[in-house]
Amino acid sequence: MGAFTDLLGGFADALTPVNLLFALLGVLLGTAVGVLPGIGPAMTVALLLPVTYTLEPTAAFIMFAGIYYGGMYGGSTTSILLNTPGESSSIMTALEGNKMAKAGRGAAALATAALGSFVAGTIATLLLALVAPTVVDLVIGITPADYFALAVLAFVAVATVLGSSPLRGLASLGVGLYLGLVGTDVLTGQERFTLGIPQLADGIDVVVVAVALFAVGESLHVASRLRRGPVQVMAASGPWFTRRDLRRSVGPWLRGTALGFPLGALPAGGAEIPTFLSYATERRLTKHPEEFGRGAIEGVAGPEAANNAAAAGVLVPLLTLGLPTSATAAIILVAFQGYGIQPGPTLLSTESTLVWTLIASLLIGNLMLLVLNLPLARVWVQLLRVPRPYLYAGILLFASLGCYAVNADPLDLVLLLVIGLLGFAMRRYGWPVAPAVIGLILGPVAETNLRRALAISSGDLGVLVDTWFSRIVLGLALLALVLPIALRAVRGRRATPEELQAGEGLRHSERGHRETVGAPPGEGDER
Amino acid sequence: MSSGSPDPDVSTRDATGSHAAATGRHPAAPRTGVSRGELAMVVLLGALGLYLLLDAANIAIPGSSNTIGPRFFPYLVGAVVLATALALGFRVLRGDRGPSDDSEDIDPDAPTSWGAVGIIAVAFLGHALLINVVGWPLAVTLMFALVAWALGARGVVRPLLAGGVLSVVVWIVFVKALGVALPGGVLLELATSWF
Repeated sequence: MGAFTDLLGGFADALTPVNLLFALLGVLLGTAVGVLPGIGPAMTVALLLPVTYTLEPTAAFIMFAGIYYGGMYGGSTTSILLNTPGESSSIMTALEGNKMAKAGRGAAALATAALGSFVAGTIATLLLALVAPTVVDLVIGITPADYFALAVLAFVAVATVLGSSPLRGLASLGVGLYLGLVGTDVLTGQERFTLGIPQLADGIDVVVVAVALFAVGESLHVASRLRRGPVQVMAASGPWFTRRDLRRSVGPWLRGTALGFPLGALPAGGAEIPTFLSYATERRLTKHPEEFGRGAIEGVAGPEAANNAAAAGVLVPLLTLGLPTSATAAIILVAFQGYGIQPGPTLLSTESTLVWTLIASLLIGNLMLLVLNLPLARVWVQLLRVPRPYLYAGILLFASLGCYAVNADPLDLVLLLVIGLLGFAMRRYGWPVAPAVIGLILGPVAETNLRRALAISSGDLGVLVDTWFSRIVLGLALLALVLPIALRAVRGRRATPEELQAGEGLRHSERGHRETVGAPPGEGDER
Repeated sequence: MSSGSPDPDVSTRDATGSHAAATGRHPAAPRTGVSRGELAMVVLLGALGLYLLLDAANIAIPGSSNTIGPRFFPYLVGAVVLATALALGFRVLRGDRGPSDDSEDIDPDAPTSWGAVGIIAVAFLGHALLINVVGWPLAVTLMFALVAWALGARGVVRPLLAGGVLSVVVWIVFVKALGVALPGGVLLELATSWF
């Protein structure tokens, strides 16, 4: 087993005091930002990008990976103990988790979430170690045209699958692609869309856009409709995880992992669809249907496992293809580029030590997270009580810090505010933010590959569908574009999470996966 | 909120966005018809598409390039953006509304507080202009306090004190320990010059 010995080597490198310290720092930061509303792992990694230019790559990526996994753990605490809808990937956990906390079973809900996250995270990370070399073997001969096709699939899938409206997803993607075009063309040195402003000739910094869309946009959006009054946090009370709880949780954990990893690894990645499917599956398979809607432990265990397994799955296309399919993965890709490393099929051979140390420290970080979250859940809960005026003022303070640190130019802060106002408007009118970030980061990569492909073929567009690989991938992209719209026209609107909880959505999910892929969880409907 | 309505998830969710329009259970929220804000977003998107298409023609093409140059991809993006704007505009004119994004701290029933948004935007702009004059800690403390006030923090001393302590601690950690370049202002730089 080549992967196994490589992984052992990774452990040897990861178990140095310095690397362990960065893993611990990462999971602590990740859990904290996961628990806090209004700030998430994508923004945290973005804010830390300039700081880590002085860090060596291994330590930086260990910390980023810890933040990424930690954010998933922390998010479950928030969704279980705050009785308000939160991030889309933890919304399915909230459905039953809230009810459990209200019924005085909060401690058991937190325990099944933490244990499920650990089980799923460990299995999925091992699967990542196992699958990554195989995927690399499959795609090692990939041509620029194939890569362009993959980027198109990622664009379309992220735009139409995330959020509730495919057209608004495409609009957001377009904004991101435009922001990625601003600056100097790398191949010819020509300025594009710089409006004659010298600072824009270097392009708009990813940190500025990501922090603006996530931190500033979110703060302004919350400010416009802040829930006034004291924050109500439910108690993590009740009997701890019992043997009966364990028996009822194991199945959902494993099924959630089985759904989360492959769906996270697809270019249409993200954690929303697997959590949605996991909830629907558990609701159908449960022996206690009467408990669903009143706090069924299966409804917490399954989605929470799916959530973490998907997080590991997202790393497969990122590490093997250089293809980010979630906002956090996109920011991590920028960190790779900052070090002059281009993730792709060659990454596993050229940076093999880095990759295997990273995977080993993901497993270590996962164990740290379990230790941090099981006994210390009550400590993290205290973070939920931070008065909201100070929380959002603090988020803006860190946004200012991270953004100014890039170039020490106040103009960046003005740009931050302008793009932040755009992020506010996007949130207000239901444009998902993630496609913009992915468009910004993957757009230039897609363009470079497109032009490389067309340079090889001397301008003949036929090269784009020359290989079976690109034909299949472009076909899938077309399907991802047309299917959600067609399904909506044929079947009407999709089930909302609440209808699913009440059992009305089951009829839909029984018809197969594509249905729910075209009908993401989340909010509202389109007629 | 955990008290009150027996099924809070459902009630809060129904009050957001188009779902309310679909079910009509919240007649208090006038959420039907064409939204001016949505329309403005579409117009802006359409303008962006046109700008991309028109300005792409101004990108200089170096004489040596014999294959597609720096204009091709911008044209592609511009076309996609314009097509999306047209399709979305069609939907919006037919009354389609995007559901507003959810967050733990958002009260979907609350009226929009443009005042808070305005104060925060102005405070942020002000601090951006002040940084190189009075240093980051002082500028960001003022911004912090204004934002906290706009969001309902009580008193004068506490927001200023919280912002002051946080900014100085953060400045010391990032500048002295991590080597990030941030102007500290005359006083703070003098006080910490022995580091």
